[in-house]
Amino acid sequence: MSELKLSGVKKSFGMVDVIKGVDLEIQPREFIVFVGPSGCGKSTLLRMIAGLEEISSGDLFIGDARMNDVEPSERGIAMVFQSYALYPHLSVRDNMGFALRYAGVPKAEIARQVGEAARTLGLEPLLDRKPKELSGGQRQRVAIGRAIVRHPRVFLFDEPLSNLDAELRVHMRIELARLHRKLNTTIIYVTHDQVEAMTLADRIVVLRDGVIEQVGSPLQLYDDPDNMFVAGFIGSPKMNFLPAIAEAGSVRLHRHGDVRIPANLPIAAGSPVTVGIRPEHFVQDGTLSLRLKVEFAEHLGSDTFVYAGYDGGDLLTIGANGARDVGPGQTYHARFNAGDVLFFGPDGERIRLGTVAG
Amino acid sequence: MTGTSKITRYAIVYSVLSAATFVSIFPFYWMIVGATNTSAEIVKGKTSFGGNLLANIERLLEQVDLGRVFLNSAGLAVAGTLLTLLVSSLAGYGFEMFRSRIRERIFALLLLLLSVPFAALMVPLFIMVSSAGLANTFVAVVLPSIASIFIIFYFRQATKAFPGELRDAARIDGLREWQIFLHVYMPAMRSTYAAATIIVFMMSWNNFLWPLIVLQTPEHKTITLVISALTSAYTPDFGVILVATILATLPTLVLFFVLQRQFVAGMLGSVK
Repeated sequence: MSELKLSGVKKSFGMVDVIKGVDLEIQPREFIVFVGPSGCGKSTLLRMIAGLEEISSGDLFIGDARMNDVEPSERGIAMVFQSYALYPHLSVRDNMGFALRYAGVPKAEIARQVGEAARTLGLEPLLDRKPKELSGGQRQRVAIGRAIVRHPRVFLFDEPLSNLDAELRVHMRIELARLHRKLNTTIIYVTHDQVEAMTLADRIVVLRDGVIEQVGSPLQLYDDPDNMFVAGFIGSPKMNFLPAIAEAGSVRLHRHGDVRIPANLPIAAGSPVTVGIRPEHFVQDGTLSLRLKVEFAEHLGSDTFVYAGYDGGDLLTIGANGARDVGPGQTYHARFNAGDVLFFGPDGERIRLGTVAG
Repeated sequence: MTGTSKITRYAIVYSVLSAATFVSIFPFYWMIVGATNTSAEIVKGKTSFGGNLLANIERLLEQVDLGRVFLNSAGLAVAGTLLTLLVSSLAGYGFEMFRSRIRERIFALLLLLLSVPFAALMVPLFIMVSSAGLANTFVAVVLPSIASIFIIFYFRQATKAFPGELRDAARIDGLREWQIFLHVYMPAMRSTYAAATIIVFMMSWNNFLWPLIVLQTPEHKTITLVISALTSAYTPDFGVILVATILATLPTLVLFFVLQRQFVAGMLGSVK
């Protein structure tokens, strides 16, 4: 039995459809990440699961109960907000015990539960402080603690790390992964940051314009994206997209020196296609080569990224580890293998069949 | 050259500031000095302290049941302030938090009503109050003031800074709407309430025209009405009047100093 199920869920504000029919099943103890650009509806979808937004049509099941019209507090969920949403007038202790107090839990039991959550999160020395006396990371942990004491079936996180600085974000990411293992409950996590999605998720749900584009494990989405949107959204630096023309038995990169990639695409010769190559798929022993002019190079120590274009065209990002002496103005031969290339049709959908290994 | 122009600029700035300070401080000084002098000395324009304070106080106590008057004023001001804050903040919160198609139209209508002067409302209001059998009661003084458009507007503006996620968090924690208002909104907006308390308390404490119309018997009189009655005597005793004025000024002054820090914070925005 799935832990949470969305079936044909839609949301409209007046005439505007924000969520256009979402079907999704989430298994117990899964860490699910909703990812997508701003305005894609990921936060709205999360708020609909929480009960903070009404569901216009479709069904939401948590466990085996239909939850569409159930109060947020009775859905068995807990939520961590982007702004933490700690009650400013209450101490950390009272913030964490607030929900239990309103549920009529005895004082001794509240104290026990809060103590336990505080131990898990290392918040014990801060219990008597007010939220304004805490750092961003500490506030974040209090917000998580407040969610933990409710012992929810499903944790909801709404961009919880976006108010933290870069270093703390990496640290909290690891803490969240550790927490998930420790608590062993279902988590639904919303972010626009694909690195967070890749590092935390069991499965990623990529959303665009209120529609699910693809669902899968991080590496599934990375290696085998269904369309250009997912291919471009997952992976950092982004995948390079090169315009090309399908020919019999090959694909011709007509804007990059007419290089031909051997491939039997199931579309008519002469059709425009898009070729996708990830930066790290440019390798020194590649059989195909693009002759590019370097605009600039980023030497990060462990990695080197070369930004180069063909004849003044758009810049490609090339992972060029070991190429420490590459600099602007030089000619660079970006080599790759036909087997690492992805093809997309004019509608942005992936063309899967007939690729011949180069 | 620059040195001279700097001095000139400072001279101008400081004379303007000094004049402004004098204008705001002098009435207080005049009030305190006057309270220590006889009526004749005040009329002559004496600006130094005299020895008539105790005599003035004694005469005030002879003419006015001061305890009663203060109790009336304080009771009306406290009840008026509490009810106004409750009702108007609830309205301001509602206007900002709850989406509705006609919300802005109703709000615009309210703001429009601000431009109707009280003098135009006085007579119909009196007819309404007396037909409800409330003439010459304290309820009649408090009731028309508790839905204050200005305070509703003030709370709506302040509520814009109240994070919506706090309300969401409280809903997930199982609070009903009225509990969210009472246990999350009100404590979080403490400084907004403090600022509003000073404004509303001052308005009800100083309220004169409406109590004058609606309160008719001596046992209902408030301090503002009493001071006004003292001035309308055939030969007003200015020393006595100024003693009464000092006493009338004290409560608002004390309240302001007590809530001063919160007042400033409330004016700057509440939730941080």
